[in-house]
Amino acid sequence: MTQALNLANLANSVNSSGQLAGSAVNGAVASATNATNATNLTGGTCTIGTTQLGAGNASIMKNRIINGAMVIDQRNAGASYTVPGGNSSAYYTIDRWSIQSIGSNVFTTQQSSTVPVGFSTSLKITVASAQSIGSSDYYELQQPIEGYNIADMQWGTANAKTVTLSFWAYSSLTGTFSGSLRNSDASRSYAFTYSIASANTWTYCTVTIAGDTSGTWQTTNSTGIILGFDLGSGSSRKGSAGSWQSSNLYGVTGSVTLASNASATLYLAGVQLEVGSSATGFEYRQYGQELALCQRYYEPNYNWIILAAQTSNLSNGSFNIGFLVQKRDVPTMTFYPNTAGGTQGAFTTNTGFIYYDNTNATKQLGSSSNTIAWKASAEL
Amino acid sequence: MYKLVKNPFTGELANQVIRIEDGAYIPFASANTDYQAYLKWVAEGNTPLPADEITTPSA
Repeated sequence: MTQALNLANLANSVNSSGQLAGSAVNGAVASATNATNATNLTGGTCTIGTTQLGAGNASIMKNRIINGAMVIDQRNAGASYTVPGGNSSAYYTIDRWSIQSIGSNVFTTQQSSTVPVGFSTSLKITVASAQSIGSSDYYELQQPIEGYNIADMQWGTANAKTVTLSFWAYSSLTGTFSGSLRNSDASRSYAFTYSIASANTWTYCTVTIAGDTSGTWQTTNSTGIILGFDLGSGSSRKGSAGSWQSSNLYGVTGSVTLASNASATLYLAGVQLEVGSSATGFEYRQYGQELALCQRYYEPNYNWIILAAQTSNLSNGSFNIGFLVQKRDVPTMTFYPNTAGGTQGAFTTNTGFIYYDNTNATKQLGSSSNTIAWKASAEL
Repeated sequence: MYKLVKNPFTGELANQVIRIEDGAYIPFASANTDYQAYLKWVAEGNTPLPADEITTPSA
């Protein structure tokens, strides 16, 4: 700004031809002086300095949630999905969102066009089989966030940053719902509530959470933070809201248990987790950008690949495929048709794989019937 | 349930296992959550099935 003010001196040096009027320069200086109060730049909605840019709908990769707008659905392409459940595994529905359900076939999920203003898709969860909830049962929609994507939050240190979660919720039920943020070793959690006052009405919810100054929070390619929306976990998995605790809470005591209500529905849209003490507008990413973010964790290829012969007398054939996006870690590979066994399979890295097949003579490379599809999963 | 895998080119055990239920190949990669589940399964006292023998297909 000092340099800008020196423009006044420049004005005095304009030659007599009048090509640069001194009054104009003074005007520019006056504007530049006002710019030191940067709230004048955008009518007070954006301050340069201690407050982050990104107010309104600006997009600066502020949202740590991937596929928060629920637009990417590589697994089901919009079709309904019944969550198998029955164990502690996380079953992925639309990209980056998984459900953990101790009961089998309790939920169906589907990308939905029932949306709040400004969105084109949401995630719909329906209770297919109402449950009697045991105290240690777990029913949860979750997104584990990779450590690299939360490292700057400095959680587990004295410099832990405050974050704000925002989302749209819509349910056939009303009342106080809950969820939590947790670390990967199940030793730290912060349970929160959100309220839906009117059934089947979109409600905008925000939760501001002071960063955790304790615990271990992974900051590389494993799980950094787990964001969970409780769907009806048992009493031993719930506690009080609004503070960090040395436990693994899924939700808040007394909150709505969706899983115990037959045919109950919950929709979520526009989920965003950002650094800061207030919610800002949802960060819309381009479709291709969001897809690429998802493919770091999951990439299917159902365009049947015809294996080509390498040599006419090759007993062990192979070829290699590069992933569209480098994976978080070496992924788990599944092939179709699936005849997994000692003579068919792949050597895999996080950038691609070498497939081999010498199952039998009719499956030799180069056979017209020898085609495969595959999927790579490096989900958290 | 899991099954070990042999490298068909060397005949040695490969750094991966097959998950029987879906035929997925799980690499021995420390941050792979499927591998972590396999390690937990082994720690619980379970043992994977032996690898298939490598055979040369008939012409």
